[in-house]
Amino acid sequence: MKSVTHYLKRLFLLELFKGMGVTGRYLFARKITIQYPEEKTPLSPRFRGHHALRRYPNGEERCIACKLCEAVCPALAITIEASPREDGTRRTTRYEIDMVKCIFCGFCEESCPVDSIVETNVFEYHGEQRGDLLMTKERLLAMGDKMEPQIANDRASDAKYR
Amino acid sequence: MVTIEIDGKPYQAEAGAMLIQVTDANGIDIPRFCYHKKLSLAASCRMCLVEVEKAPKPMPACATPVMDGMKVWTRSVKALAAQKAVMEFLLINHPLDCPICDQGGECELQDQAVGYGKDVSRYAEGKRVVFDKNVGPLIATEMTRCIHCTRCVRFSQEITGLQELGATGRGEHTIIGTFIEKNVASELSGNVIDLCPVGALTSKPFRFAARAWELQQRETIAPHDALGSNVDVHIRRNQVLRVVPRENEAINEVWIADRDRFSYEGLTALDRLTSPMIKKDGKWQATDWEKALAYAAEGLKEVVKKQGSQAFGALASPTATLEELYLLQKVGRGLGSANLDHRLRQVDFSDQDDAPLFPYLGQPIANLETCDTVLVIGSHLRKEQPLLNHRLRKAALRGANIIVINPVDYEFNYPVAHTLISSPATFVEDLAGLAKALWENPGTLVPTEMQKLLGTVSAKDNHKAIAQALRTGKRRAVLLGQLATAHPQFAVIRALAAVMAKLSGTSLGYLGEANNTSGAWLAGMLPHRGPAGLPLQTIGLDAHSMLTQGLKGYLLLGLEPELDSWNGAAALASLKKAEFVVSFSAYRTPTIDSYAKVILPIALFAETSGTYVNVEGRWQSFTGAVTPPGEARPAWKILRVLGNLLDLAGFEYMSSEEVREELRQQVGEKRPNNRLAWKIPSSLTTLAVKGLQRITEMPIYSTDALVRRASSLQKTVDATLANGIHIHPQLASQKNLSQGNSARVRQNGATLTLPVVMDERVPQESVLIYAGQLANLELGEWYGGVEVSAA
Amino acid sequence: MSTRMPKPNSFQLLSADSRAQIDHWIAKYPPDQKQSAVMAALMITQEANGGWLTTELMDAVADYLQMSPIAVYEVATFYSMYELKPVGKHKICVCTNLSCMLRGSEELVDHLQKKLGVDFGEITPDKKFSLKSVECLGACGGAPVVQIGKNYYENLTPAKVDEILAGLE
Repeated sequence: MKSVTHYLKRLFLLELFKGMGVTGRYLFARKITIQYPEEKTPLSPRFRGHHALRRYPNGEERCIACKLCEAVCPALAITIEASPREDGTRRTTRYEIDMVKCIFCGFCEESCPVDSIVETNVFEYHGEQRGDLLMTKERLLAMGDKMEPQIANDRASDAKYR
Repeated sequence: MVTIEIDGKPYQAEAGAMLIQVTDANGIDIPRFCYHKKLSLAASCRMCLVEVEKAPKPMPACATPVMDGMKVWTRSVKALAAQKAVMEFLLINHPLDCPICDQGGECELQDQAVGYGKDVSRYAEGKRVVFDKNVGPLIATEMTRCIHCTRCVRFSQEITGLQELGATGRGEHTIIGTFIEKNVASELSGNVIDLCPVGALTSKPFRFAARAWELQQRETIAPHDALGSNVDVHIRRNQVLRVVPRENEAINEVWIADRDRFSYEGLTALDRLTSPMIKKDGKWQATDWEKALAYAAEGLKEVVKKQGSQAFGALASPTATLEELYLLQKVGRGLGSANLDHRLRQVDFSDQDDAPLFPYLGQPIANLETCDTVLVIGSHLRKEQPLLNHRLRKAALRGANIIVINPVDYEFNYPVAHTLISSPATFVEDLAGLAKALWENPGTLVPTEMQKLLGTVSAKDNHKAIAQALRTGKRRAVLLGQLATAHPQFAVIRALAAVMAKLSGTSLGYLGEANNTSGAWLAGMLPHRGPAGLPLQTIGLDAHSMLTQGLKGYLLLGLEPELDSWNGAAALASLKKAEFVVSFSAYRTPTIDSYAKVILPIALFAETSGTYVNVEGRWQSFTGAVTPPGEARPAWKILRVLGNLLDLAGFEYMSSEEVREELRQQVGEKRPNNRLAWKIPSSLTTLAVKGLQRITEMPIYSTDALVRRASSLQKTVDATLANGIHIHPQLASQKNLSQGNSARVRQNGATLTLPVVMDERVPQESVLIYAGQLANLELGEWYGGVEVSAA
Repeated sequence: MSTRMPKPNSFQLLSADSRAQIDHWIAKYPPDQKQSAVMAALMITQEANGGWLTTELMDAVADYLQMSPIAVYEVATFYSMYELKPVGKHKICVCTNLSCMLRGSEELVDHLQKKLGVDFGEITPDKKFSLKSVECLGACGGAPVVQIGKNYYENLTPAKVDEILAGLE
């Protein structure tokens, strides 16, 4: 009995029509493909993109050189050197993230006690020369300054789940 | 012995021992903050509370003596509840600033809080804030973090003996500090950094530099004191970031001196040389090793060929490793010269043939603290050898009689039974009187020549008193310090010390100078002896003669002769006159530029492998922890290649261990015998001095090129004290001098203007001028008459 | 040069009379334990200096008793009867511990502060009174207690305090 139904299905190309049916249905359905880069998908506030170093509203950099991000980084992408600043506070003299090594796990952001190192939703960046993707402290701070409204907004919207 | 039961298991323990000592010995963990095995008990932190059978309340393990049949539970419900409660109290006022705290990652409080703390604090009130005080260039304070364990207070009281820190106020308002803002001036002060269980006291030079987890630990030996203190260097990315002590009960216990802890800063000094330099046609140029070594070898060969091998000499710093010194003497002797020396701070070599195998302490270091009577001749021991001084301090506190004969009334941090202040010119006279006083009592024999010499000497009352003291006690020692070694009548002093030791039946010892002075003697870096003390037929020039008579060619290892030698001015003049000077130096200075033709950059402490032999004759080898900067190389490698280039035989070593083993075989079982190693002097006359006598001391932070560049140490009280001319206030007022003014100082025809420093320790017929200072370099000799007048 | 010991001969800051009084106390202890007299010595010095101690005076005491200065500072800051700032002619010490608090010391404090116009640790402009809060004076049976000078005044009310203050010169 089983072999008979199997034979009939093969004879009338039933599976093929089923398949074509799906194709036909999607041919007229609403498209979900996005025309990147003209169109973009919405990003979660937890999106882990390019890093940035934040500042306090008074312009003081947040980072206190505790080096937890450096310690937690599984890809060893972060390098920090620190020394007392002129006013005696603990500050980094060097803060570098090697974007080539970074795996965007977000541990650095999670380990930061002062919400200084964050991952923004910028994922479109590139380097044209060797060393372009080695993000220095200045570049990371500049990124933070530029993205601060977005960063603050994202943190605020995610705060209740943290 | 008693049997006690801890957590259900029986243990044997010494009766009267504290519970925590028993648990520590058996690897049972009890949390603690205030307890430290080298300090007295405070029992103030209460973290070590444990449950003891029949005790109504938990007992502090650090202050509960064990008793037979005692039953203890360290992790019972009651004990844990007590420990957790104590932890909660400790955390009440402790700030949550671990991310910016240098102790983070190696903090006892942090570690214990993980085990015993709650994750949420119930304390909502305001926390205590304590304002910081500046306690000097070495220790950074953050007193809000203090948990009042008082380890630092007890350390300053019990170990340094200068009670500098204290707990003022009471209860919540207790503040650890110096009360009035002042610098902590102990030469051992850095140890409070290790003692502090939290981040209240941290290292200032290391401040914010690195985290404990970034550092790698390498074992090595301290590069300054004659003990060969065991240390660990902590490195990150090929850079030494700090030095901490490694426990060795026989040598440094758990401490190290500040000089050894902070001198690593000199490794990264700005004038560090990173490539070989040669001077061609009057111009300095950086070059590669091949060219530099060929140039050096050629120059040395030419000097020897043209002027004869006796026109060449090699001088080394006793801070160099055993291997370097052995190879250097091998190069020197290979070139046919016996002009080899490391004793730059000595001037009387007349008895060098009779000197011991090396300046031996006469007993193991740890035995010093069991002595009953110790006579120290010519030593500012606290600053010369801080940890040997600590051993004597322990002896003194136990009741030993310490007797001191010094040109300056130095401060000791323990009770000194007798102090005899004797200016350099009367030093021999006083020692002879002392020997005579010992002789007058019926006792053992001395050689007849010596008896004759002492015949005309008369002992004064204070000599007799000291002699009497020297005869009492079971374990006794006579120790010679650096001020004796540098004395122009050192041979006589040595003879008299040996006679005293013989007459009183005590042991004779030397307090040592640099970390590897013993090694330099064993390696044969001497004009009169080969490796392992082998006597030689032809005797070369000693360091003083080499630097005053002037040679045509010099080879210098790790030296700045103008600062390191007994007569810096003459040394510099001789070097400038020489035709060809090769300087193995880690640093490039304008002075080296002025006389050298080749400067070869060498590796320093922690950058090279090698061996130091300490004052008790212990060989301690170590490996390099970091690579030297730039093109700098370990000196033993440079010397090995130089040996090849000079076509000398026996320079095929592949490692520093091979060099060491070659020397070790030659030394074999040889041990020094201090009591037989001296020579009968021709006379006991004292040297006449015109005018005021100059007393010279090498200050603690100027002893070698490395420490002279340790910037934080140079800011300490001890370093800043070394400037100017030190003069007794009464003498100063006679000469119309006052503090802060300058004085015109004239010695041997050279005149200098130096700031006046009032110093009541200096006797009235003398002035104290420190050595190793560029400012007073031109005055020259460490001894002699000076004229002082108002400028 | 030394940092441990006070300036030599700084004990001369103490008057001959004070020194004689301190010697009386030193004599009570074994000769090698002179430092036992530190509390009495500080009290004598304080009284001779109008009720308070300067750092120099504490150094002088340290020199006289051959102690390290910090050990003297420790004692002087620990006990509330030593003053490190100038005080008024009459030092009013109000106990604010539990027993006295239950019996109304807070009310007394309010009254005194209002009446004298000073806070704890301050002196009235005429330098007559200074106010201080102290720990238990050991007279809980007569709470609330106030110590003025060397006298205890017990079972106080604001009215009684007014009376006492009026009686003081």
